[in-house]
Amino acid sequence: MTAKISLRNVSKQFTVRPGKKSGGTATTLTAIDSLNLDVRDGEFLTLVGPSGSGKTTLLDLLAGLSTPTSGEVLVDGQPVTGPGKDRAVVFQQYALFPWRTASANVSIGLEGKGPDGRKLSRRERAAKASEYLKLVGLACFEDRFPHELSGGMKQRVAIARSLAYEPDVLLMDEPFAALDAQTREQLQEELLRIWRATGKTIVFITHGINEAVYLGQRVAVLSARPGRLKAIVEVEIPDRDGAEDIRSTPAFVEQRHKVWTLLHDEVRLAQDAGHRKILPDGSAPDEPATHQTPERSAA
Amino acid sequence: MSATLTKTARPAGGETAALETAVGEVTSAEKPATAALASVTGAVADAAKGAAFRAGSWLWKATGILAFLALWEFGPLYLAAPSTRVFLPPLHEVLLAWGKLFEAGSIQGHLAASLSRSVAGFGIAVVAGVSLGLLIAWYGRLNSVLNPLLELFRNTAALALLPVFTLLLGIGEESKVTIVAYAAFFPVLLNTIAGVKTVDPLLVRAAKSLGLNSFRLFQKVILPSAVPTIFTGIRMAGTASILVLIAAEMVGAKAGLGYLIVNAQSSFLIPDMYAGILTVSLLGLGVNFLLVALERHFSRWRTAVGA
Ligand SMILES: Nc1ncnc2c1ncn2[C@@H]1O[C@H](COP(=O)(O)OP(=O)(O)OP(=O)(O)O)[C@@H](O)[C@H]1O
Ligand SMILES: [Mg+2]
Repeated sequence: MTAKISLRNVSKQFTVRPGKKSGGTATTLTAIDSLNLDVRDGEFLTLVGPSGSGKTTLLDLLAGLSTPTSGEVLVDGQPVTGPGKDRAVVFQQYALFPWRTASANVSIGLEGKGPDGRKLSRRERAAKASEYLKLVGLACFEDRFPHELSGGMKQRVAIARSLAYEPDVLLMDEPFAALDAQTREQLQEELLRIWRATGKTIVFITHGINEAVYLGQRVAVLSARPGRLKAIVEVEIPDRDGAEDIRSTPAFVEQRHKVWTLLHDEVRLAQDAGHRKILPDGSAPDEPATHQTPERSAA
Repeated sequence: MSATLTKTARPAGGETAALETAVGEVTSAEKPATAALASVTGAVADAAKGAAFRAGSWLWKATGILAFLALWEFGPLYLAAPSTRVFLPPLHEVLLAWGKLFEAGSIQGHLAASLSRSVAGFGIAVVAGVSLGLLIAWYGRLNSVLNPLLELFRNTAALALLPVFTLLLGIGEESKVTIVAYAAFFPVLLNTIAGVKTVDPLLVRAAKSLGLNSFRLFQKVILPSAVPTIFTGIRMAGTASILVLIAAEMVGAKAGLGYLIVNAQSSFLIPDMYAGILTVSLLGLGVNFLLVALERHFSRWRTAVGA
């Protein structure tokens, strides 16, 4: 059980531009406060927290898109100095390059020199792009431009793009939040299948408790701003791969309730601060309401 | 691929079904044959209707032009006073004059002179505008230094500087090419800067997370996303370059369409003058058409949403 990613006492502060109210002096905002977290190799970790608790900030740190104010971010024991080919990010807003076809979008990460110092030919890149598009269920869509694809298809392309250069770690920031319930469930299934097939380490941010418990082996709960690690819930659901709908099994409901309780106070705190992404009853407005009844009666 | 097929197939299928229900009331035994026949005739009728519609829309679009040409032809004969008629020759006289100039080869000569100047100036402007624009947009420091200066120059009408260029460069080709380049430079430059500046920051983040270094980021993300805006600038520059060139040729030149126009006017060859003007507007139209097509080609991925 080696740690693939470890965060040691990580803090991140932003300098906030002087607003009119604060009388023109710049203030600092602590987005993440001395956070410690280890992610195991090959683990699927989900991260929940109220809006503004620093989830995206944390993901940026892991991706190397920003640097911590203090503390250390280690991947494979090495401090992160910038973006690297060992980590890939899937953004909520797809972030596909609109002038590139699906295939060209997927292969963009392959255009430089590979880890062995060899450059792939155009044909090899296209073949690899098709392979990964097929993996996410988009065979035959190679030549489509992003504007010709639905939201779910775009997100699949984005996932294929991040998988294509074969990173060890997949960092996902609310990747399914903009999708409808059916597409989301379908993509969740597919992500689990890909994870089982490839054995990647996945850090998955979500604001849906159902999604967090359904996907994650562990659920990390962040506190309201400044983001601290409030708790880690080990999700133990027997017979995960069984054919039945695990979302309605007692074990799932119990785990879900645990996470919900942890989030409850934090959400109220965050809401007092003006964020309303998760309602106090634990539901997110764009999540399907079907699985929420037990908690509502418990609350 | 397959989705495109089903998409095109759907309306046809729907149409057949609709026809079938309409015909189906007659006899059920004849239904398949009638339906097939109906769909064939339907398709033929549809095609004919489409062609007629297209011709109609062309006609509709051409009405304005045709009305204007008719006015040009008959207006001077029936509406204008005899004293002004001299200055407003009817269309056929202008066309005849144009034909004569063409036969003599002088229209071609003037057109070539104008074209070579505008192409040279426009080319210089595009190369300089795009490369300087990319530099300025990439180095923010440079932008803050140069921006006030650029604003000043941009808001100085190019033609106001014509005397300066003439004094410095003489009345030869250099001064004309320079003023065209000057006028065409700013639309290209400003649109290039704007194009680079407005690149979606999310795409930049995505590219960085994919491990692109700054050179690759520029080449593969910033430049392509700026291309449509740059081409808008190039199209504007094309229009500006012809505008300024004609004016410059009117002031001092030995050849060119602008020269043809003023020279015909001062020699009292009024139909020749209109022939020159007609050539200028056709040239402008042609250039604009070409540049619009180019712009559309390079922003396919962007404009396709509205298409
Ligand atoms: N570049 C920045 N400059 C200043 N403040 C920032 C910056 N980025 C984030 N913040 C602040 O840091 C805090 C955490 O932001 P972050 O985007 O990480 O939240 P989040 O948990 O991802 O929220 P959400 O669930 O809404 O996406 C917020 O209060 C935000 O205002
Ligand atoms: Mg976020």
